[in-house]
Parts: sequence; structure tokens; C-alpha cells
Amino acid sequence: MKRLILTFGLALVVAGCNATTPEKAMSLEDQYKAALARTQAAVKKAASVEGEWRDIRWKKSKKRYLPKAIEAAKAGDYQKALKLLSIAEFQAKMGYEQAMAEKDAGPWLYGL
Amino acid sequence: MKKIATLLLSAGLVATATQVLASTPEEDLQKFRAYFQEKFPGLKLDDFGNGAYALDENKRLQWESMEEFPPYEEFVDKGREIWEKPFKNGKSFADCFGPDPSKVRVRYPHWDPETKEVVTLEGDINKCLKENGEKPFKWKKGPIAWLSAFFGYEARGQKINVEIPNDPDAIKAYEHGRHFFYAKRGQLNMACADCHVKYPGHFIRGNLLSPALGHVTHFPVYRAKWAKKSKDGDGLGTLHRRYGGCNKQVRARPFKAQSKVYRDLEFFHQYMSNGLTINAPGYRE
Repeated sequence: MKRLILTFGLALVVAGCNATTPEKAMSLEDQYKAALARTQAAVKKAASVEGEWRDIRWKKSKKRYLPKAIEAAKAGDYQKALKLLSIAEFQAKMGYEQAMAEKDAGPWLYGL
Repeated sequence: MKKIATLLLSAGLVATATQVLASTPEEDLQKFRAYFQEKFPGLKLDDFGNGAYALDENKRLQWESMEEFPPYEEFVDKGREIWEKPFKNGKSFADCFGPDPSKVRVRYPHWDPETKEVVTLEGDINKCLKENGEKPFKWKKGPIAWLSAFFGYEARGQKINVEIPNDPDAIKAYEHGRHFFYAKRGQLNMACADCHVKYPGHFIRGNLLSPALGHVTHFPVYRAKWAKKSKDGDGLGTLHRRYGGCNKQVRARPFKAQSKVYRDLEFFHQYMSNGLTINAPGYRE
């Protein structure tokens, strides 16, 4: 019983310590910087396998998620920038995955 | 015993896969042609050069009426003027391509064993300009398409005859183009082959999909869609302009005209239409 009380007490102390020293929340700007770096790396990776999709950054696309995210951040709208970056990063990752899945594509897949 | 059977089966599968992946350009061509001839048994080989108009009677009639007074004619004439006009140094395109313009189109695309690259007609047009101190043309439309259309017009009636030399680098370029053609890409997850091998003859919205066999015979092409966009009704565009448009439509990022990717694609794509008659430039919707 004594041991149980001790263990429970210790657990409470640990939990209390955690509650009183929370990790410092990242500012939106820092979150944006991290997301931008991740997205740019993902786009580069997709492009390296000829798998980049149209709307990430191509100049004639109306969407241009990546350049528009950078513009939004410059204007101080980090929420919008993060939202656009999440789409761009997703599309870049999917483009890479797709290219990998199609690595062995050829006429044999079409019955030729 | 079970282990041995599994091993043998695996080895067999690997061997089969390798064999399939290692098909030669000539084997690819035979299968490609046989596939389309089986899919459209009523068509003769050269009919494939008419694209979707070979598949639909009504569309064919509309197209034939357009071809009575072809809208590309004035641009072919402009191409002829470019051909005849000397450069500032007194030389002309004939110094690069030879005196007979009807012999030009059939030489392209080809493999250059020295640069280890696929050489296209448009690439050589701009190379000629640069070598003679002239400003190169823009790659996708305008003067480059006019001159290319003139070469195509002069070559009408001749057969496409692309050679893939037995050079590992040339084969690699061909296989790169082949892979590009058959690989799904873009947000819509579609390959060139989805529309033009699997579904030619079907409609995609209001457009009848054309077979890949014979695609290249009528390039550069005059498209009504492009004419509508231009200020002076010039609807002529190069094959690489069309590649870019297709990639854009499946929501993949298009590559630059005359990039290695598109030159390799052209190498494969033109080779697949070997033996078909050149009927460039063509009119398309």
C-alpha cells in the first residue's frame, strides 16, 4: 500500500512538472519557415524524378501554391501561407510517390 | 521440394519481367502497330495519320471541308519566305539543310552519336540561326512553326523513317521517351498512353481521342483552339507545344519545349509512326 501511494505521488509530481514547464510554442513565422524548407525539399525531390505536378509552382498555373505561399508570408499572413504550403507539400510528395510507382511503366502495362 | 518450386517460380518471373522490359524498339513498333490495327480493323495504316478524323464520319466531313481552304496555308507561305530569305551574312537555311527543302523533314528526329542527344528539326533550325549570327526563334509557335510546317508541306507523301541506332545511349534515350509516354503523371494520374493507346475512339468531354499511331505525321499542326487564342489567327504549333499542353491537361508540370525529356519522347513517338506518310501540316480542332 505504501509503495502504491509512493508511486502515485511520484506520478503526480512528474505530471505536475510537465504541466508547469510547457514547450515553447513555435511562432507562426517559425512554423512557416520550417514548412517552406520541407516543401521546397519535397518539390526538388519530385522534380528530380520528373514527377512534379502543375499547380505547385509552374508560372502559368493559376494556383501556384508555393509562390503564393511565399507572397502571403511576405504580406504577414502566415496562416494563409501555411495552408498553401501544406497543399504544395502534399502535391510534391504525391508527385514523387507517383513517379516511383510508375518507375517500371511501359507498353507491357497496356497489353503491348 | 516446396522451396525449390518457389525458387524456380521466382526465377521464372524475374526472367519474364526482364524479357518484357528488354523489348527492342523494333519489337515495340511491331506490337504497337498490331495493337492499333486490331483495335481499328477497318483502317489502313496511312489512315491513322488522320487521327480522330479517321474514326468518326461526321468529324471527318467537317475536317475535309476545312482542308479545302486550309487555314494554315498562309503560314506555310511565311515559312517558305523564311526559307528563301538570306541571313545577314549572305548565307541561308539551305546552307544548313541542303538545297532541297523536301528532303529535310524526313531526316528528323535523329540520334547524334557525338553529342549523345536526340536532334530535332526545330533544334536544328535554331542551331542554324545561331551559327549564322541570327537571333533564334521562340520554340513553340510563330516563325519556327511556319518554317517547320513548310518543311512538312514539302515532304508530304514521304514516309516517316526514324532510325534508332544500336548504340546503348540511343537506346537509353528511346527507352526514356517510351517510359515517359507510358508513365502516369500529374494530379489526374494519366499517361499519354491512357488517352492515346487505351482509349482512342472514346470521347473525353467533347473531344474524340486520337490513336497514338500516326500522331506525328501532321506536325506542326494548325489547331483551331490555338488560332482562337492568337491575335492574327495563327494556330500553328510544334509537337513540343502539344506535349506541353497534354501534360498541363493532366495537371503535371509541363517540360520546356526542346528539353531532353520532350526530345526523347519525340524520338520514341515518331519512331512508333515509322512507315506512315507525312501529311504535315494538319488541321485539328
